[in-house]
Amino acid sequence: MTRRAVISGVGHTDFGKLEGRSPWHLEAEAAAAAVADAGLQPSDVDGLLTDPGPSQGILDGITPHFLRMGAQLGLDPDYAGSEILGGAGSVAIVERAALAVEAGLCDVCLCIYGDSPLSSPGSFDYARGDESAFGFFGAAGLHALATRRHMHRFGTRFEHLGEVAVAARAHGARTPHAQKRKPISMDDYLASGQLVEPLRKLDCCLVSDGAAAVLVTTAERARDLRTPAVRILGHAQAHSLSTYATPEHFDRLPAARCGPRALGAAGLGAKDIDVALLYDCFTIVVLLQLEDYGFCKQGESGPFVEGGRIGPAGSLPVNPSGGLLAEGYGSGMLHVIEAVRQLRGETGDRQVAGAETALVSGHGLGMNTHATLVLGS
Amino acid sequence: MSDPRPPQPQPDALTKAYWEACRRGSLEVSACEDCGHLFLPPGPCCPQCWSMQLGVRPVSGRGHVFSFTIYRRTYHPGMPEPYVVALVQLDEGPRLISNIVGCEPEEVSVDMPVRVRFEDVGDFKLPRFERAVDGGGTS
Ligand SMILES: [Zn+2]
Repeated sequence: MTRRAVISGVGHTDFGKLEGRSPWHLEAEAAAAAVADAGLQPSDVDGLLTDPGPSQGILDGITPHFLRMGAQLGLDPDYAGSEILGGAGSVAIVERAALAVEAGLCDVCLCIYGDSPLSSPGSFDYARGDESAFGFFGAAGLHALATRRHMHRFGTRFEHLGEVAVAARAHGARTPHAQKRKPISMDDYLASGQLVEPLRKLDCCLVSDGAAAVLVTTAERARDLRTPAVRILGHAQAHSLSTYATPEHFDRLPAARCGPRALGAAGLGAKDIDVALLYDCFTIVVLLQLEDYGFCKQGESGPFVEGGRIGPAGSLPVNPSGGLLAEGYGSGMLHVIEAVRQLRGETGDRQVAGAETALVSGHGLGMNTHATLVLGS
Repeated sequence: MSDPRPPQPQPDALTKAYWEACRRGSLEVSACEDCGHLFLPPGPCCPQCWSMQLGVRPVSGRGHVFSFTIYRRTYHPGMPEPYVVALVQLDEGPRLISNIVGCEPEEVSVDMPVRVRFEDVGDFKLPRFERAVDGGGTS
């Protein structure tokens, strides 16, 4: 009999400045919330995958992150590991959990992201080797290069980036746990200071302390759990590791390669997706993904987002919980969780009517890594 | 803070020759002796054919701005804003991250022709770029 992976439990902490709580505290709280959501016991967990955030790294001294996490949770799982794929890591560990569960390596796999970068300042402003001699610091610099390319090639305007920022805040206003619940106007966006030009402050995601967890199990096991199972219909990864050497590195994301594969596995096209959970570390990444996933043609994402199309009242709601720009920095795991909640129909004021399919993406490091999940109710 | 200089390059076994060439005022890229591919940054093998028969080749130092960003936030006291970080496309193929100097940040544009100019920073000569006027001549 074929084992099919589903998501049966989700949970997270608050997101924001959470002083006095280590990532370990936060991750444990998220893990307990996910297990409780599914109606399971800690002893049911037999798989553990972790995505430590940038301020934690994958190692604590010489101890792998999953090892310390497992020790603290008292787990002796049949399957375990950690991944460093930057912002693609959380989506990637859910994908890896699905593979492990479907292969019979474990039955209930706990996937955890957590970090407290606000307690470890500077972790997002890392120097890039010898390039730091030229003042090239942080994730913003690379994304600024991509933004400039898009503006230069396609005539994309600040107002197009602003549509993404305004939509995120409008979504966040409907999300009780969002870190930023105050809507912004286009004028607010245009008045926000330029940091790493052409990126403004409001093009950049939040930095947050917090943790989020997802439980992956089999459809069969999910039948007697307390929440409706969300099906994992398709998944894929693609990476662009040669960075500057690749001609298209700043013009297309690896999403253009793994998107069609994930959608194809689900038997769906972009037009069949009801709700899109697109990784949004910077506004440009949302525009690039709308093109690379086929929601619009290359170069047309700017006009595509005009008029609030990806906002709460739009025809393609993107990140209805507010995403990294308004909900909180959850490295992609909050995107997975919002997809699950939308497909279960439990998101109240921000519920996308009739949501039956969701696309979730993770995007990481120097625009190097990408992972896609296609989920269905 | 203690050291006002920007972070210095940290040459290693792979990049030592590159930085030494810069110190001589020569921009030299890695060259594959098997397939002819020219590349940066220096690595252990040709990223195109995986040959380990590698040499270096001096290049013209001419190219154009592929993309750029203006830092309007100071990340390091040794690099006060504003300054331009650009991805420079060399005429011979490789690309590198550098700065555009010798003009106002607002004057930089994508596709602008540039040429290398070496600047002393600490113990290094950093390859930075300035606007190139077509037809040569000094500027
Ligand atoms: Zn070669």
